[in-house]
This record gives sequence, C-alpha cells and structure tokens, in this order.
Amino acid sequence: MITFNRIHPKGDPKFARTKSGKTALVRRTCMPVSESAPPTILREITPEQICVLTFNRPNSSANVFDWDMLELLGEHLDAIAEDNQIKGVVLISAKPSIFIAGADLHSIAKYLDEPTIPADLANLIELGQDVFNRLASLPVPTVAAIHGACVGGGFELALACDYRLASNDSATKLGLPETQLGLIPAWGGSTRLPRLIGFPAALDIILNGKVLAASQAMRRGLVDELVPKESLLDAASRRILTRGAELRNRRAPWKVRLINLGTVARTAAPFVHTKVAKKTRGHYPAVLKAVEVVTQGIDRSMEESLALERDAILELAGTDATRNLIRLFLLQERAKRLGAANHYSLGGVSSPGGGSGFEATPTLPRVSRAAVIGAGVMGAGIAHWLSSRGISVMLRDLMPEFVARGLSTIADLYAKGVKRRVLSSIDARKGIDRIYPVAGESPLNVDLVIEAAVEKMDVKKEIFRRLAETTSGNTILATNTSALSVSELAAATKSPDRVAGLHFFNPVHRMQLVEVVAGSETSPAVVARLVRFVQDIGKLPVVVKDSPGFIVNRILMPYLVEAGNLFEFGARVEDLDEAMLDFGMPMGPMRLIDEVGVDVAHHVAVTLAASFPDRLIVPDVLDKMLSGGLLGRKSEHGFYLHNADRPDVNAGVNLFRLNDSAAQFSRAELQKRMVLLMVNEAARCLEEGVATNAADIDFAMVMGTGFAPFHGGPLRYADALGAKQVVAELNHLADFGESHFKPCGLLAQLAERGESFYGKKGGSS
Amino acid sequence: MNTKRLAIIEGVRTPFCKAGSSLARLAPDELGRIAVNALLTRTGLDPALVDEVIFGCVSQPADAANVARVIALRAGIPERVPAFTVHRNCASGCEALSQAFDKALAGRGSVFIVGGTESMSQIPLLFSQRAAEKFSRLARAKTLGQKLRAAASFRPADFKPRVGLMLGLTDPVCGMNMGETAELLAREFGITRAEQDAFAVESHRKAVAAEGRLSSEICPVYLPDGSVIKQDNGPRTDQSVEVLAGLKPVFDRKHGTVTAGNASQITDGAVALLVMTEERAAQLGFKPLGFIAACTYAGCDPARMGLGPVFAMAKVEAEAGLTVANADLVEINEAFAAQVLAVLKAMESEKFARKMLGRATPLGVVPLERLNVNGGAIALGHPVGATGARLVLTALKELARREGKRALVSLCVGGGQGAAIWLERNV
Repeated sequence: MITFNRIHPKGDPKFARTKSGKTALVRRTCMPVSESAPPTILREITPEQICVLTFNRPNSSANVFDWDMLELLGEHLDAIAEDNQIKGVVLISAKPSIFIAGADLHSIAKYLDEPTIPADLANLIELGQDVFNRLASLPVPTVAAIHGACVGGGFELALACDYRLASNDSATKLGLPETQLGLIPAWGGSTRLPRLIGFPAALDIILNGKVLAASQAMRRGLVDELVPKESLLDAASRRILTRGAELRNRRAPWKVRLINLGTVARTAAPFVHTKVAKKTRGHYPAVLKAVEVVTQGIDRSMEESLALERDAILELAGTDATRNLIRLFLLQERAKRLGAANHYSLGGVSSPGGGSGFEATPTLPRVSRAAVIGAGVMGAGIAHWLSSRGISVMLRDLMPEFVARGLSTIADLYAKGVKRRVLSSIDARKGIDRIYPVAGESPLNVDLVIEAAVEKMDVKKEIFRRLAETTSGNTILATNTSALSVSELAAATKSPDRVAGLHFFNPVHRMQLVEVVAGSETSPAVVARLVRFVQDIGKLPVVVKDSPGFIVNRILMPYLVEAGNLFEFGARVEDLDEAMLDFGMPMGPMRLIDEVGVDVAHHVAVTLAASFPDRLIVPDVLDKMLSGGLLGRKSEHGFYLHNADRPDVNAGVNLFRLNDSAAQFSRAELQKRMVLLMVNEAARCLEEGVATNAADIDFAMVMGTGFAPFHGGPLRYADALGAKQVVAELNHLADFGESHFKPCGLLAQLAERGESFYGKKGGSS
Repeated sequence: MNTKRLAIIEGVRTPFCKAGSSLARLAPDELGRIAVNALLTRTGLDPALVDEVIFGCVSQPADAANVARVIALRAGIPERVPAFTVHRNCASGCEALSQAFDKALAGRGSVFIVGGTESMSQIPLLFSQRAAEKFSRLARAKTLGQKLRAAASFRPADFKPRVGLMLGLTDPVCGMNMGETAELLAREFGITRAEQDAFAVESHRKAVAAEGRLSSEICPVYLPDGSVIKQDNGPRTDQSVEVLAGLKPVFDRKHGTVTAGNASQITDGAVALLVMTEERAAQLGFKPLGFIAACTYAGCDPARMGLGPVFAMAKVEAEAGLTVANADLVEINEAFAAQVLAVLKAMESEKFARKMLGRATPLGVVPLERLNVNGGAIALGHPVGATGARLVLTALKELARREGKRALVSLCVGGGQGAAIWLERNV
C-alpha cells in the first residue's frame, strides 16, 4: 500500500506562500515531498491565493479513491477551511489521461466472496459522502479542472465543486457508470446530478451508465466550459478571481427547478420504473434502485437523499448480480493488463489474484504492420479494426473483385463510424489510407499475418505452407478459423512454432473478445506477442488451448444445436428466444443463428459435431434452411423475416420441423435444457484444460456471447446453483434417453465432493 | 560520359482514364497515394528506408499544397521523410525522376519514391480577378449598406468561370494554345491531316494490342462504391482513319489539321517509381528493372515547343555518348501527332541539324518499329504531371520483354522545352 505524507499545515515551517511571480503560477509545495514519490494529493497556494489540489497517486497511471485517499482529501479540505486567505480551490490531476477514475474497485474486491457485506463498505460510503459534503460546503469557490477520465467517484467529486472546467481532449470522458457494475452513484452522484441538470436528464446518464466525451458532456450540462488542456489551471484560476462569488452562489436554471418538483418526479417514477423493469427483465436491480433514489431524493434534503443513496448501494452490493458484474469488470481489467507470462503456461492453474500488477515484457517486438488474407466479412472487419487502431494492414485476396468488396465493407464501417461521431472524417480517411490492397501474391514484409480465408482445411494448409516459406522468421502466422485445428494447420508448415490462432468475433468492431489460440507447437513468445497485440488494438485477449471450437464456439454450439433440435420437436421460435432473453442473454438462439448466418452456424456445428459425435447432432433444419437459401439476415429470410423494421417469425420454417412434432415445452424447461448444456460444456473445457481457469471461461462467454453478465458466466452460474443440483438436473434429462445431457466428469466430481468451480480451484479473481 | 547510374527498381501506375470518366472523383493526392501504396506492396519495401518522396504535378490542387508531401504521408511513408513537388509542365513526372537522379549522384540520399500525378478532371474553374476583388469587398463589408453595395456591384460576366485547363494549356509568353503550336509545326513541316490521323490510328492499334502487356504496370483502383478499375480506357478498338477524318479541327477551325482525335487525350492518372543508387539496391537485394544513364532538358521556341525532344536528344547525346541508333526503343511523347511527326522530320533533316542544332549531321532516323511500340498519349492519354514517369516505366518494362539494352525517352514540354532520358538494362 502507498504511504502517505500526512500534512499538518498549521505550524509546518514548509507551509509557505510565495510572494513573487506575476505570471500564472509559481508553485510551492506545502508539505514535505521526497524526490522519489510525489504526494498523492499535492496542495499548493498560488500568489493569487488560489489553492490548487493536484491528484497524483504514486506508482499508478490512474487516480482512484480508496479509504486513504478520501481521508487525505478530507485533511486538505480541513486545512483549506481554516485558511481564510484562500480565495478559491482548483482540483486537478497530474496524470496524462485520467482525472479520477472513481472508486478503487480492487480495494473492494476482497468483499466479493464474503457472504455478507461488511461494515467497512458502509463506512467507506459515508466517508466519501462526508468528504464531498465538506468540499461542497467550503466558503470559497471550488473548480474541478478536468482532463482525462472523470468517472464514477471522480465525477461525483467534480459534482461537489461549484464549477466544472473540462479539457476539450479526446482523453476526457465523464459519466457515472456505476449501474454497469450493479451499483448506483452513492457519493452524492444520484443526488447532485439531478439537481444540476434535472432528474430526467440525470436518469438518462445514470441508468445507461454511459461515459460521455467532453463535447457531449458539455451539451448535457455535466460541465460548464471546455478549454484546451494546457489552459485548464489558468482558466480555473481566472474564473475564481473574476467570477468567484457568482460561482459560489449558482442556482439551477428555472427549467431544471421546475422539472425537479417532487410532484413531477413522483408522477413520472412509476412509468420509468415499469419501462426499465421490462427492458431489463428484472435482472438488473441497480437501475431500478437508481430510479427510486433519484425520484424520491429530488425534493428531500441533501442528508436524506444521501441516506437513500447509501441504503441503496449497501443493499445492491450484497446481491449476486452486483458481485458478478464487479467480478467481470475486474476480469476485463485483468485482460487489459495481463502479460502473457501468466497466461500462456497452459498446464497449471494460475494463482488466485494472479497477474494483477504484471508488467508487460518490454522486449516483445510490437506489431506495427499486419496482413489480412481474405477480404470477406471477417477479413474486412479485422482489417478495418486494425487500421482504425493505427496499424498498417495489407488486405489480400485472390481477385481484385474480392478485394474491392472487402474495401467497400471497410469504407462502410468507417462511414458509419463518422456518422455516429465515433471518429472524425479525417481519422476515417487516415484509417482507410492504412489499408494496402493486394490482389494475388506480393511480398509479405509484415509482423503479423491474419488468415481469414474460406474455412477449408486444405485451402488453409496451402496458404500457411506458402506463408511459412515466404515470410521472415519473425512474422507471426495466425488463423482466424472458428473451429478448425490450429495444430493441424501448423503441422503443414515448416515453422509451426509461429503459427497460432487469433479468433475475432463478428462484428469485429463491436466484439471485444479475441481468443488467442496456442497450438501444440506454438512458441510461448508468439502467444505473448499476440496477447500484447490484442491488448494494443483495444481488445480483450483470452488464451486458449487449441481444441475444436476453442472456448466460445465450443460452448455456444451445443446450445444452438439444442435450440434447433427443440425447434424440430415443436418448440416455437419465439418461446426459444424469449426463454433465453428471460435468462439474460442479449439475444435468443434462433435470432443469433439468423444474425451470424445459417451457413456459418451450420459449418461450425458440422465441424464440431465431427469432433464430438457423442453429444452433437446437427439438426436437419439447418441443412434444410441452407438448401432453401434461408441464410438468416444476410438473405433476409431465416427463423425470422428480416425485411421489416422489426423482424417477424418466419412461419415458413415451421415446415422444416419433424413430422407431427407437437411437443409442448414450457419456457422454463426450454431455458433449463439450453443453459445446462452450456454449463456442462463449459465444465468440460475446464476439465480438458482448454482454458487454465474457470474465470477465463466465464469471461470468454460473457465477452464473446453476451452470456448473462449478472450470472457471471456459465461456471459462476453453476456454482450459484450448486454442482449437486446441476448434476441432478442433467442426470434427470439424460435418464430420459438424451445422452448428450450426461454430466461431465468434473461436474460429477464437484457434486460428489460438494465443491464448486471457484471454491477450491480455478477462480482467479 | 557519366558512369554513375540510378537504378529503377519497380514502378506501378493507376489506370489512365479519360477526364470525366472512372477516376474523375479522385483528387491528385488520392491518385498518387494509390500508386505509392501499390508500389510499396509490390516491392515489399520498408517505407522507413525511403530518403525522400518527389512527385510531379502540373495543376497542383489548392487543397493539397505540396501534393507530394500529402501523398507520402497518406501512403504511410514515415513523417520524418521529406517530400516535395516539382513542376516542369508535361515533363513534371520526368523531373521528379531526374531530381532523384541528381540527388543520388550527389550523394544526397539513396532511396527515393518518385512519380507524377494529375487529375485533369479536377482542374478547377476560376473566377476572374475582377470578380475576386468584388467577392473580397463583399466579405469585408460590415454594415448592411456596404454589403448591399458590394453585392450590387456584381455583373453576370463576373460569374463566367475561367477554365483552368484551358489556361494551363495556353503559353503565356507567346500567347498560343498548345494545339496552335502543333498547327504551326504541321504547317512548317508540311504534315498533312491524313498523316496525322494515320499516326493516331496506329497509336490506338498498338495500345489495344498492348493491353495485356501494359496491365503488368497497372494497379487496380478500388472505388468507394465497391467497383474496381483495372484498365486504361483511352485506347479504342474501333479507331479508323475514316472515323478520324470526320472530326473538326479544334484550334484552327477553317484551315487546321489538329483534331481531338490526333492529339493526346485529357486524362487522370498517377505513376510511382521506386529508385535507388546501384549500391543500395544491391545491399537491399532488389533487382532493378533498369537504370537511368543520362537525363537532360533543353529549351526552344515556345511557339514550337513540340520540337523540344529534338533539342533535348541532341543535348543528351553528348552526355550519354549514345546516338539514336543505339536505342532499342524510342518513346516520343505523343502530345500531338503533328508534333511527333515534326520531331521525326527534324531528326532526319540535315538542314535542321545545321541551322537549329549547330551540327553537321542529323540526329538520325527512328525506325517506326522501335517508336512508341505500345502506343502513346494519343491512345493512352496524357495526365500531364504523370506522363514522364509513365514513359520511363513503360519503356523499361518493354525493354525487359524484348531483352533490349537501351531506350531513349523524350517529351516536348509546354513553354518551349524538351526532355530526354537514356535508360539501360544490364544485359
């Protein structure tokens, strides 16, 4: 833990003020500072008597609030309150891209596996509320000078200031993402934001948990002014000196005060509540709580509203949904930071908490130039993403016409990005300029080749055989295959050590997960470089051992196949999809098949069925749809008709059912069958060592398929049910002659011993 | 004689497309970017090895000043690599190459990307100076009264655009349009309309026959709508003397002989070449297409700018120690059929040699089977800033196909100049 320089302003001889200096700021530290470790919060007084608090957490690129930092801030505020010469306070960060990133979730991670929420958490909430109240009640004007991420508790701090200045920089992002973690803003955010911009606008921010760019935040009233980052401190000081009293006594505009009348809020509350409840199907209690707290607190006193916040967050923090959402957040953080050293040793089980604080190996050569082979949807999607992340990409296909199609896909993706204001038209053109189209052969002077050609082993083998001969020994050769064997492919080349899998998901620009597949001969250095590469391009890597379908498709396919089989036996498309929407999936299985394409789903299913004939039998309905040209969204016809705005169930596919099948299934029954198959397959993956730990599998499933995040993934879900019950239910189904439900060895073993996936082994968060 | 040579490693160009056709929407920097992008993929060159990028462009775009720098950055050449744009009218693409030649021989850099780019579709329309002054007065007006007065000063004639293309093709010194200079040569050298038309038909015939061969120097251009342009669209399969005879003269409607059919086409396109010193090429393991052995420019009467090649070829003879007879291939840019035919006549003429070149013997006869063997600008088009580089590229690739040793490339240059380059291969 960090050691703090406690300060005692009164009587401290170093607490001195400068007398000279006519220009902006002559800084004087008011506390002893050792050369090596700058203070977490530096307090300085400018010649104009403005107090500047600079947040600079040592040994970290981020400022986050934990107990110590809150206490420290409180001490500074006390000192400021006692100094009646100070004309105003500016809060600013010394970090290059972070103002304050909110509460330190790692510090509360230790609560996650405890049965009840300890009193510490309540104290932490109260401390934060208290310190921010002290900031808000300082007699002098306070200005938050924001550059970089200012989210969660960081933004709540800014809300407690009188005025908010933000840099007009792309690094500056503001918002309250607490509901994404199953929490609500409880350091005053749910109280102060509605009072600032009106409760409907505040709910929009809080419920969606979205983080806004500076210009958007400005438009919505989250900040008062945008300035260049270099001028932040100067501008903040000038506002205090020229408009100090005005800033201190600001009132919300009449429109905000009008809408914030208690009667308005109480009338609107039930409608918002119902709408949100329907959309979230009751799986996300935090958003409902946020509606309650905001609408009830709006015309109460600060103290009462803050008490509502506190009670709500303490209630939420104890729920499984919230714990799972926080765990997922931590897993994402782990994936962003983890170096391959902790990842690619596929044999063992990583230690609990393994990887946090790992420093990426600096010697790994970075990928700056890549080639994508195959300009189809995946190839173009990958090339688009890489080019948008600053990497030069050769996009190669056999014929100019194929390349042209890929380039036009890429141009469309960029055009949509510009339209949605994700990037500027200049950046879009820069991205497109980074694509180097090639029809036919050409020298491949690149760091990484990603093959996204047709999913045929003999074609891929030929491609890789040539690649291994024509590229340098430092070039990584990766395949984007979704189901074929990486090791078999590698064996066809003369350098299998640099062949690996790099499995992106469709649509590439939206799916954050990338499976890094280590074949039997793949060198650890290659895996490490790929993990680093995936991180560099802003995706989340999970390292997987080469085996059919890797993690995501392997676990997803039994689920989709079961959905197909159930359909053949008479289950209705809408029942199948609703059942899984109820479970918390973002999309039902039938809709998912339509979206990925019946042809693609069929191909993956057939490939996997060849590896697992004992439990996967591809339903005939897929063959029939394939031969009937019903390919899903791409042909506008699949299980749904996609030509309307809202897809309708395609009654035509009912003809593809088995004869006289009129079996009746309740949605609960459908859901149980489909979910249990995923759980069983996930357990098998762990058993076979496809991933080294349960967390990787759960993480991959949530990030790769949207598997109900609040359940935490299939294995976390199994733990919640208990292995005993999972096995009992599987056996029950298997006993009725459906052998594919037979529980795998690991599940049976856990059930027998009364253990869980995360209890004794596998858990890593 | 100069013994140092510059190696031309590889070259590639966009298709040459008639102005207003397939490539009309692509700005000169985009055309140039596409050519350099393709050059990098074809050669596998690490862009960090490039010492400088030099591009020729005649109508330099107002929104991409120093278009060579824009091309270089957009094509992924590192920021630290400098770039500049050159202008020698129709020889601008050639000038880019000779700049690299001079720099390399002077030891200032060893790897260059050079070329030329031109979008004749996008040469802007301009306002007259008088109209421009009125616009600026309007922009400066502050009160409503001033604004109204400024607005009221406009006359319909102020909105008549000045066509940039036409301005560029008119010699400001002698006041003649390029076509008029060709008419002058036709009259003085006694070149008939029939001779010009026959020459033009021959250019198309050769270009059509060469389509497959030329495709090896062309990179596809992928348009944003998903279509792909792979071929030049200038050469006509159905061109005949009869069809051409039906065209009206453009520059001298009553007595003239120069028509749109026997003059070069107005075209969009770009060319990029990778060039290096011989030592650097060997060091990096590149096998050059060929070498520049000599390169020179000569001035002449602007009103007879079409004779420029004769003067330049005479001048380069001494520099290279070679005569026309040493050339396995000769390229004389086909600005106008009349102009090329005049050049050939002047080259054979003892009188011209004595009077104009100050030498006793004529330059020599160019056998037609060695002249512009894959057609010329009459069929392929003449994107003015790019042509010089195209001629070098086409000549070198053809020389290799024929396993020839030397080629002589020349262009006439608006404003009264000629360019001549000796290319050679190791055989």
